[in-house]
Amino acid sequence: MPTPVYIAAGLKKSFSGNPFAQNYVLRGIDLTVQQGAVVGLLGQNGSGKSTLLKCSLGLLRPSAGQVTVLDEDGWDLSAEAKSRIGYVPQEVVSYPWMLARQVIEYTAAFYPRWNQPLVDELCRRWRLPLEERVAALSTGQLQTLGIVLALGHEPELLILDEPVASLDPVARRQFLRTLLEIVADRRRTVIFSTHITSDLERVATRVAMLRDGVIGLDGEMDELKDRVKRLHLAAAAPLPKDLAVPGALAVEIDGAEASITLANFDSSIVDQLRVAWNADVTVQDLNLEEMFIAVHEHCGGAAPSVANANNVKSAESDDSRNVPEIDCP
Amino acid sequence: MAASVRFQIHPSSGVPIYRQIIDQVHALVAGGKLRPGDLLPSVRTVARAADVNPMTVSKAYSQLESAGVVERVRGQGMRVLAPADRPAPKRRRAEFRDLLAAALHRGRQLGLDDDQIQAEVDDLLAAHDAATAEQTANR
Repeated sequence: MPTPVYIAAGLKKSFSGNPFAQNYVLRGIDLTVQQGAVVGLLGQNGSGKSTLLKCSLGLLRPSAGQVTVLDEDGWDLSAEAKSRIGYVPQEVVSYPWMLARQVIEYTAAFYPRWNQPLVDELCRRWRLPLEERVAALSTGQLQTLGIVLALGHEPELLILDEPVASLDPVARRQFLRTLLEIVADRRRTVIFSTHITSDLERVATRVAMLRDGVIGLDGEMDELKDRVKRLHLAAAAPLPKDLAVPGALAVEIDGAEASITLANFDSSIVDQLRVAWNADVTVQDLNLEEMFIAVHEHCGGAAPSVANANNVKSAESDDSRNVPEIDCP
Repeated sequence: MAASVRFQIHPSSGVPIYRQIIDQVHALVAGGKLRPGDLLPSVRTVARAADVNPMTVSKAYSQLESAGVVERVRGQGMRVLAPADRPAPKRRRAEFRDLLAAALHRGRQLGLDDDQIQAEVDDLLAAHDAATAEQTANR
C-alpha cells in the first residue's frame, strides 16, 4: 500500500477578518493523495483551487483544519521538505531584470540536488530564450520558465496551479509528455489544477472536483468513467415529473422521455427502469467534461428535488473505495 | 513473433482508456489480427504513441492477463494465448445479456410473442454461423 504524501483534513479558508461574516472559500476539504498518483483538481473559476494549493504549501494560512505534506504540517514545512516539493503558481512571478539563464542559475543555487542536464534538455525542448530578460518573456514563456524551475530539483511532489493555461496546444502537449515521463517511475506524485479536462484524461489517475468549497466528486479516472453514466429513457407513456432514481446526479424529464445521470451505474437499474416504465433505455458513457457539467448544473440552483445525490446507491461490491463520493451541498 | 498492432485510443471518450485497450485486444484476437504467440506492443510504446499515462495501459494488460487472453513472458512482454487456454469469463455472458435485454424489450413493444422472438433468434444464429463457416472456408 503506497503511503499518503498529501492529506487535507477539514481544511477551511476564509479571507474575511470579521468572525461574524465568514465567507468561506474552502468549507471543509478532505483529500488524501497516495504516492504515485496524478491528481487533477477541477473546478470553476473562483471555486478555490488556487486557495487550496496555496493553503497546502504554507503560502496561505488555513482558517481551520490541517494539511499534511510529506509527513509535515503544510503551514510549517522544513527546508528539507520544501526541497522535495515543486510548485508552479498560476502566475509565475520572477525577476524581470534577470536573463532567463540567470534566473535558472539563481534558483539552482538554492537546491543541493539540481539536475542541470534535465533543465538544459527542457529549455531546449521548449525553446526557452535563455538570453532574454524575464521582463521580455511572453506569458507562455514565463509559465514555461516556472515549470522548468519547479522540475530542476526533481521533486517528489509536484504541485501545479493551472500549469498550461497560457500555453498553446503544441506546448501543452509537450508539457504533458514531460509530465508523463516524470510520473513514469511511479514514485513521483503530482497534484495539478486545470480547466482542460482533455489533458486530465491523458495523465490523471484521479480526479477531484471542487465545488462550493468542498470536494464534490472524487474518484479514480477509470472508476469514474466506468460508473458515471447517463441513461436515456423513451417510455411508452409520459413519465411522472417526480420520477425518483436512487443515486441520480441529475434527472431531466420531458414527456415520455428522460435523461438520468447516475453517479454509480449498475445494470440492474437499467432493467428496473425498463420494466417499471415500459421504456427503451440506452446507456451513454460520459467523458470528464460531461461529468463536470452534470455535477455543476445539477448542484446549481435548478437541482431537481427527485435527485438525492447524497444517497448514492452503493454497487453490489461492498468495496467502498470504488464508490465515487458525490456530495452536493 | 511481434505483432504490429496499433491501438486507437481516444482519451476524451467516455470509455476509460484501459477498457478501450481491452476491447480492442479482444476484437483483434477475434478478427485474427492478433494470433496466439503474438506479442502486444510494450506499455511504454502504447503510452507514448497515444500520449497517455502508462499506468492505464498496464492496467489493461494486467486485466487481459487475469482474463487469460495474454500471458506475461519475462523479458519479452505480453504474449497472446490460444483461445482454448482462455477461460470463458462470466462477463462476456453478462454483456451479451444486456444487449439481448434491450432487443427483447423492443420485440415486446413491437407486439412479438415468445415464439416469434425465439424464431428470430434461431434464424439469426443460423445465418451468422453459416457466414462464419463460409469465411473460414474461403481463407
